Amino acid sequence: MLEIIALVGLLIISLIIVIKSADVFVDNLVEIGGALGISQIILGVTASAIGTSLPEFGSAVIASLSGSTELGVGTVIGSNIWNIAGILGISAVVAGSIRTGSEGLTRDWLMTLGTGLILLFFMLFGDITWTAAVVMIAAYCFYLWLLIKAQKKHSDEDGQEKEKESQNIDETPEKLEKNSEKTINKKSIAFVIVGFVGLVIGCRLMVYSGVELASIAGIPAMIMGLFTLAIGTSIPELVVTLSSAMKGLHDLSIGTVLGSNTFNILIGIGVPALFMSVPVERLSLTFDAPVMIFVTILLFVLVRKSNMKLNRVGGIILLATYIVYAFLRIFVLT
Amino acid sequence: MHEKIMVATMGEYMDEIMKYTLDIIQERKTEVIGIYVVETSTPFLTPKKVKEMMATELRDQGEEILESMRQEFQSSKHYMINFKKLLREGDPAEEIVKAAEEEGVDLIILGTGKDIIDKRLLGSVSEKVVHSAPCNIMLIKTI
Repeated sequence: MLEIIALVGLLIISLIIVIKSADVFVDNLVEIGGALGISQIILGVTASAIGTSLPEFGSAVIASLSGSTELGVGTVIGSNIWNIAGILGISAVVAGSIRTGSEGLTRDWLMTLGTGLILLFFMLFGDITWTAAVVMIAAYCFYLWLLIKAQKKHSDEDGQEKEKESQNIDETPEKLEKNSEKTINKKSIAFVIVGFVGLVIGCRLMVYSGVELASIAGIPAMIMGLFTLAIGTSIPELVVTLSSAMKGLHDLSIGTVLGSNTFNILIGIGVPALFMSVPVERLSLTFDAPVMIFVTILLFVLVRKSNMKLNRVGGIILLATYIVYAFLRIFVLT
Repeated sequence: MHEKIMVATMGEYMDEIMKYTLDIIQERKTEVIGIYVVETSTPFLTPKKVKEMMATELRDQGEEILESMRQEFQSSKHYMINFKKLLREGDPAEEIVKAAEEEGVDLIILGTGKDIIDKRLLGSVSEKVVHSAPCNIMLIKTI
């Protein structure tokens, strides 16, 4: 009993270390990128795309490297189902509704759906090998390019509008450029290293406590990944999605979830598959991955049916779907 | 009757709030202060970059809302109104009350905003303002 309590404690502490380290790592990496002259748009898009998903990625990589590949795949697929059915469900219920623009929804949703189908396709061939990994990573690069292009267009339009609106702005474009020129801060480099080390150690501890807990309690590693680690590593998505929905920042809300799901699969499974074949469990192919695709489609149907917003009823439907999935997966299909 | 009025909005139900404000002002010379509060609080474990992004988005949103208020209040129909924009950051209810004290307004106008479920789940800014406002309040029933 004492061992279980200690392991649960270790799991919670490691989770906090992972999430905080990911934050410090991304934050300072962006600082360094800015000092190196990388465009703020590219940095902003990349940081927000990977920022909340580093815990899933880290745990998937560490789990694979330490021989618990099942746990890694479980964490990724489980996170994706939880992100849509759980997090968006909770956010819609609490905030009342989450609105979305049709352009952003179509792009991000199509990419999330496409990503799920790519994964399912490669799963049909058995293990996910480096060939699949190359396709997945290339697909993610394409998605990042789409995001950067959209953000550039948005910034250009914003810039033109602001120029028209006010003529008494002190800062000229040259001045702004000068302001953005910075030197690389040694502190940022140190924090990137600290963040990275924290991420690796935190993920290692998290995977260790997850595997140990699973073996003591007699739970399959896949279930541990699908639920405990998946929900734990998705805490950043939960806080961002819920608080942005409550503040009325609807695009950020749905965008965070869809962007995170795309990253989780293409990079969270793609990168580990570059180094070693990722084995596919039969139930993942026949149940988990199809459920992941189903909830993605369900989200789109619910949003389209309610005039481009996910309302409270939609949120309840998503949450109910998650509960049914969890019940079937834990008690019926194991 | 009212010389200085504060109109608080988060962007929703603007038409109703403006309509009632204009009704009580009528032909008198009045100073109207439009206030929008950027709520900067975020839960523990929110990534720093996302926090900054949220604050920037909300600030832009607030500026847009205040600008559309200014355009309406300062249209040629309402030449008697002296309009001032106020964008603050922090807890909405606290900031509205603080600003009302600092500006010495004699009336705060805001919408009731939410239905019962929303009030239970999200809390209500107007209820908090009602309890600590330094002046009269006019609540516009928006739901």
